[in-house]
Amino acid sequence: MGTENFSLDELQQWMQGMLIYHVPVESNFGTNAGAPVEDIVNASQRLSAVSHLDIYRYSYIARLRSCMQSQFSALTYALGNELFQLFADQYLDTYPSESYSLNTLGQHFSSFLEETRPDKEAKESWPDFMIELAGFEYTLSVIFDEYAIDTNTAATIDTPDNMLVLHPVFHLLSHRFPICNYYLEFSQGKEPELPFPEESYCAVIRLNYKLGLFSIRAAQYFFLKRMQETHSFEKAKTMLINEKGIPQTEFDRVWPEWKMNFIASGFFIEQPGT
Amino acid sequence: MPSVSNYRQQIANMTNPGLGLGLRSKHFNYILEHNPPVNWFEAISENFMDSGGRPHYVLRQVAEKYPVVLHGVSLSIGSTDALNKEYLSKLKQLAAEVNPLWVSDHLCWTGVNSLNAHDLLPVVLNEVSLKHICDRIKEVQDYMERPMVFENPSTYLTFKQSTIAEYDFLRYMVEETGCGLLLDVNNVYVSGFNNDFDPVHYIRQLPYESIVQMHLAGHQHCGTHIIDTHDRQVAQDVWNLFALAWELTGGVATLLEWDGNIPDFETCHEELLKAKQYMNHNFQAAPITVQQEYEEEAVSNPVNFLVNEIRL
Ligand SMILES: [Fe+2]
Repeated sequence: MGTENFSLDELQQWMQGMLIYHVPVESNFGTNAGAPVEDIVNASQRLSAVSHLDIYRYSYIARLRSCMQSQFSALTYALGNELFQLFADQYLDTYPSESYSLNTLGQHFSSFLEETRPDKEAKESWPDFMIELAGFEYTLSVIFDEYAIDTNTAATIDTPDNMLVLHPVFHLLSHRFPICNYYLEFSQGKEPELPFPEESYCAVIRLNYKLGLFSIRAAQYFFLKRMQETHSFEKAKTMLINEKGIPQTEFDRVWPEWKMNFIASGFFIEQPGT
Repeated sequence: MPSVSNYRQQIANMTNPGLGLGLRSKHFNYILEHNPPVNWFEAISENFMDSGGRPHYVLRQVAEKYPVVLHGVSLSIGSTDALNKEYLSKLKQLAAEVNPLWVSDHLCWTGVNSLNAHDLLPVVLNEVSLKHICDRIKEVQDYMERPMVFENPSTYLTFKQSTIAEYDFLRYMVEETGCGLLLDVNNVYVSGFNNDFDPVHYIRQLPYESIVQMHLAGHQHCGTHIIDTHDRQVAQDVWNLFALAWELTGGVATLLEWDGNIPDFETCHEELLKAKQYMNHNFQAAPITVQQEYEEEAVSNPVNFLVNEIRL
C-alpha cells in the first residue's frame, strides 16, 4: 500500500512517531513504517520535505526541554545543563506527555531518575540527592496550584493555643538531604554546593498565592505533623511529650518561642467561627 | 440544543471589544495594581483550568474588570483520537466561571494515542479530514452550548494528501458548523512564506463575516523559513496584512500575543496600540520586504506554553 492511501489516523501516527520517537512507530504500519518523508510531505522552494518536518521535530524536543528546565530549575543547576538535558531527553522518550497541561510534564521525573539511576551496583549518594530534589520541585509546583482560597484570618500571638489551626495550604516534608536549604539558596541566586546527606525537615505554606519555605527541626516536624493529623493542639502536645520523651517543663519552655515563629511564618490561622 | 444556524447567528452578533492583550503571568501584578486601559484580555484556557492557586485567582479578578476571551491549545480538533471529555468538561466549567466573549482554539491536532506533543500540528486538508473535523466541531459546540472559534495556525509543512486550500477549508468549516474564525495575520504570513503561498490572496479568500477576532504577533525569520516565536514586535509586512484584513472584515477584536522575551506591560500595550495606525489605512499591496537579518535555532512558541512560574 502506498502512502497516498494513508488514512488520517495512519498519517497522524506517522507524524507523531517522527516527533516523539524520532523514528516511525513500527507497529500498525506494516510496510509503511519507513515511509520516506518525501512521499508524505511536500518540498517547497526553499526547503526539502525533510527540512520541513525537521522544524516540527526540533521544536518538539526543544519546547519540552525548556519546560522541564523551568519546572526543575534547581535540579538543572545541580546536575548542570548537559547532564540535566540528557536525563530530561531520556525521560521524555520514556514518558511522553499524556496531559493537555504542561504543568504535569515532570510528574514522573523523580521516579524515572530512581528507576534509571546510574549507580545500580555500588550506590553513591549524589543520585539520592538529585531524586529528592526532583520530587521536591515537582511537589512545589503542585502546592502552588492546589485548590484553596488563600484568605483566612491569620492567628496572632494572642490566639489561645487551642484555637490554633494549620493554614489550609500547609505541607510538611522530610528529606534525607538538606533539600529545602539548598533550594532556598539556589532561588536566592547563590551557588550552593552538593550537600552531604543530613536529615532535614521543612514546611511549605502558600500565603496570598505565594509559597513560603521554612526549615524546621525534627521535634517541630513531629509536633506539626501530629497537629495536621489530629487537628488538636493538646493532642499534638501530648504525643510529643509521650512519644518523644520530652518533659512537659521543656515543652512549656520552648513553646512560646515556637508559637511566635510559627505565627510569624503564617503557619496558623484562627479556628474559623471564633 | 442550538442548531448550526443558531451558532452562525451568535457569531454574527459578536461585538468588537477593541484592542486586547494576551494575559501573561509576568503581567499579573501590574494588571491587578494598575487596571491598565486595555479593552480586553485573552487567557490561555489550559493555564487556568486546573489552577486552584494564583493563576485562577488572577483570572477571576481580571474577568470582573475586563471582557475576557478563552483561547485554548489542547482541544485537538483535528486528531483521530476521541475528543477528551475531561478536558471539555473543565473548559466548560471555566467558561461558566469567567463568562468569556467567546472560546477559541486552533485548526490543528496535538497528538494521537492519548499522547500530547504540545504543539499545534498541521492537519491534512482534504475532504475526509474536513468531514472528520466538522463532525467534531459540531460535537464540541453542542457540548459547550456555544459556537467555537477556530484560528489558522502557523504551519511549517504541507501534506501531499492535501487537496483543499486552507482558506477554503476554513470557509467550509464555517458553512458546515456555524463556527467563527480567528484570523491570525502573522500566522498567514508565516505559513505563506514557509509553504509558498501569497498571504494577500489567502486573506482575500476568507469568509470575512465569520471572522470575530484577529491575532498579531512577532516572528523570527530564519532565511529559508519563518518561525512563529511571539517574542518581538510585529513585522511591517504583517502590519500591512493587518490593514488589509481590517478593511475586509470592517474591523474586529484585535489582540497582540507576546510569549517569549516578554517585555513589561507598557511595551506590549504600546505595540498593540500601533494597530490604530493601520485601521482605515487603505491597504496598498506593498511588496513583501525581504528581511536581512536571519537567525537560527528558533523554537516555535505559538502560545504561552510555559509551565507555572512558582513565586516564593
Ligand atoms: Fe495566534
